[in-house]
Amino acid sequence: MSCNTCTTKTVSLAEYASPNALTWCPGCGNFGIQVALKQALVANGITPHQAMLCFDIGCNGNGSDKIDGYRFHGLHGRILPLAAGISCANTQLTVVAEAGDGATFGEGVNHFVHSIRANFDMTFICHNNENYGLTKGQASATTREDVPMNSSPDGVSSTPIHPQRFALALGATFTARIFSGDILGMNRVFQAAIKHKGFAFVEVLQNCPTYNKATPHEWYQKRVYNVNDTDHDVSNRAAALAVSDDVNEKIATGIIYQDPNSVPFMSRDMVRKDAQTELINEVSHYDITQFTSRMR
Amino acid sequence: MHIQNRFVVKVSGASGQGINSVGETISKAIKETGLHSFGYREYPSLIKGGFASFQIDFSDAPLVSSSAQCDILLVLSVGAFNAYYNSVAQGGTIIHSVIGLQLSDAQQQYIAEKELKVVFVPAQQLVKEAGGHPLMVNTFLLGVLWQLLGLAFEPLIEVLKRTFAKKPDVIEPNVTMLESGKAFQDEKLHAIELGFTPDQTIIDDLIISGNEALALGAVAAGVRAYYAYPMTPASSILGYLAAISHETGMFVKQIEDEISVAEMTVGSSFAGTRAMCGTSGGGFDLMSETVSLAGITETPFVCVLAQRPGPATGLPTWTNSGDLLLAIFAGHGEFSRVVLAASDPASAYTLTQVAHNLAEEYQVPVILLTEKQIAESHFQLKDLPENIEIKRGLVSEDKLDSLQKMDRYASTESGVSLRWLPGQCAPTFDANSDEHLGDGSLTEDAGPAKEIFEKRMRKQTAIKAVFPEPQLIGEETCDILFVGWGSAKLAVTDALIQYQKTGGTKKLSYLHYEYMFPLKTDRLQQLANTAQKVVFVENNGTGQLAKLIRMESGYEPNDILLKNDGRPFYITEILSYISGEEA
Repeated sequence: MSCNTCTTKTVSLAEYASPNALTWCPGCGNFGIQVALKQALVANGITPHQAMLCFDIGCNGNGSDKIDGYRFHGLHGRILPLAAGISCANTQLTVVAEAGDGATFGEGVNHFVHSIRANFDMTFICHNNENYGLTKGQASATTREDVPMNSSPDGVSSTPIHPQRFALALGATFTARIFSGDILGMNRVFQAAIKHKGFAFVEVLQNCPTYNKATPHEWYQKRVYNVNDTDHDVSNRAAALAVSDDVNEKIATGIIYQDPNSVPFMSRDMVRKDAQTELINEVSHYDITQFTSRMR
Repeated sequence: MHIQNRFVVKVSGASGQGINSVGETISKAIKETGLHSFGYREYPSLIKGGFASFQIDFSDAPLVSSSAQCDILLVLSVGAFNAYYNSVAQGGTIIHSVIGLQLSDAQQQYIAEKELKVVFVPAQQLVKEAGGHPLMVNTFLLGVLWQLLGLAFEPLIEVLKRTFAKKPDVIEPNVTMLESGKAFQDEKLHAIELGFTPDQTIIDDLIISGNEALALGAVAAGVRAYYAYPMTPASSILGYLAAISHETGMFVKQIEDEISVAEMTVGSSFAGTRAMCGTSGGGFDLMSETVSLAGITETPFVCVLAQRPGPATGLPTWTNSGDLLLAIFAGHGEFSRVVLAASDPASAYTLTQVAHNLAEEYQVPVILLTEKQIAESHFQLKDLPENIEIKRGLVSEDKLDSLQKMDRYASTESGVSLRWLPGQCAPTFDANSDEHLGDGSLTEDAGPAKEIFEKRMRKQTAIKAVFPEPQLIGEETCDILFVGWGSAKLAVTDALIQYQKTGGTKKLSYLHYEYMFPLKTDRLQQLANTAQKVVFVENNGTGQLAKLIRMESGYEPNDILLKNDGRPFYITEILSYISGEEA
């Protein structure tokens, strides 16, 4: 699909620039995430027309027209199956899907489960700011217990979902956790996630200066450390579960787990795994007489 | 009412007793005898037990509908006897293998009134005596039936051989059981004079279900991805496409729910392949937000909506055409769309291809309606129609250089903008579910919002301009003009032929809609001026096409024939309506 002239040329950060003004709140974690994503795409040599950026609805999705690349800004909670449909049809594209914690662990939680099972070949950046920002600060499935929110003034009375535990238990082939204040760390993790063959889940601990008063930027900054600077074995799922467990005191960031033998979905599908062409290049008339002859 | 030149056999038993296999074998063997058949399935929403039936209407002339009653009922279980004994026509025969069957007073009365012959065949015992396996009871009964029908056994044996081609060791025993069944005698059983003239030129006809034809239409149209969540009566599209996927190379995937199904379909279409999904009413409800997404992002989206009676779970395994208005109005907001409705394998095959052309050329969601009656009935036809040329509406590779970002959603006279694909070395754009400018950039400004809304709506007018008018079967000047869509066509067209054959004097015509939306009404209104009476026929409870036509044109039909009990229209019902008009 990609043209040869582009795959050999050097990509620059400027190519991902958009003339549209960013609309996030001052101090929002999204600024740093977008910068790190651009840097990672450039570092991986991916041109904007090879990049397929898929956005859910939420504050991060409002950035869909503030970055270059082919983009799809879909429905709330539904970006994973849309991105999966794109990825399956053209495995040459670099598919990156982004959604908030509200969409991922609320309305779209089943998509998260099945995308992990299928190991669709894409990077999934989950912007976890522990609330629904764009609808003005309601509780999400990751909001901490007892924290009062717009929709729950007495505090949330359900147990929050632990994204790393959840993804690891489902058998994810790549999970990472990173802090939105750590642009260099995000850049490194995004590069690795994009290179991963399969579903790469990246949870970004994102500050929300407007609505998340419980865990602001400074709160995270004091607690995060780079687990990849320790002797943590990223290929050990049990170790990954242990090291990512703490989300209150000493919070591990970086690549938490990666299966070095991960096989993405289209290479697992028995009909398609040995296909030499992409689904997008195969649209033409197919002869049906071999099938009708069995009905005679 | 017995239909001249038509004979009806119904096989019934518990679900899991192989009723479908027996029915298919009969259909094929009848065809290979040089006759025409139509096979209609009824079954409950459970796997073992209950009762199921497969009715075969056959004739020496083509037919596409069922009679309300049968001439011979072959019964394998008590439940099926109780469910179907009163579907046997005057003077008919019931052959059953139910040991110790006790007839109720009502049953005895019905049998006496209708002068039915009831014959018990101790099939289990006779099969055992003949050295057969208990599973061969059905074959034995088939032998009894075939002898009664006075049909040649060679075609039946050939069909059995093909059925068991992968299990050659069971062929010989089954043929033996057929012979044993043939030898069965009962004083009440005498070979029937069918009086049909076989036509050896039709023995190579297809026997195909609507869903098989629809699935093959997708193969022929170059659909390379099919996504679905199981739901009757769409499931057999998924099953069939999956079964042949190693030969077609099509990516066929069962997905976790219908929302994901619709989203993956939009995603794959957006990427640039031809993708399709299929579901029934409940699943389609879940998809409706995504229909709206395809509308605003102008992404091709083709969905098969295989109807069954609702609301909610309704009658899961029965038929109905009650989701026309759902298809037309599904999804929030206003946007252009196409709704097509198949009525038989030929139209299912063609319209599937048409659906993909329209979806791609006009960048709109296309909903293709079918019904359980079309999806799962067994039709006999010479061949599927010629293929439709694939039209993709994509910018050609050599024109990519001249594209601007703003071209993707640029306002045009027809409302159709240039479409190119992610990954192509060309200006990029944002397929934005927020209202947007030409390149997909978000806007909340009144002027641009109005402009792009109107651009998208202009596509509806452009599509209507290329849509064909409904198809007229019969003469323009007539006493009764029937108007229908979907499976109504089957019973009405059969009834019209039958009426003429039997010397009916009224002039009857039928106007058939398959291009449902955007709706065309000029032809209808013009014909209504010359017809004495216009009667709508719809397999739903509220007359949805009539409502739609009234909404679009103000036209009111003279009468409307509705049916909403999960059963299809039978030819007999249409003929009764006509004779009521004559009285």
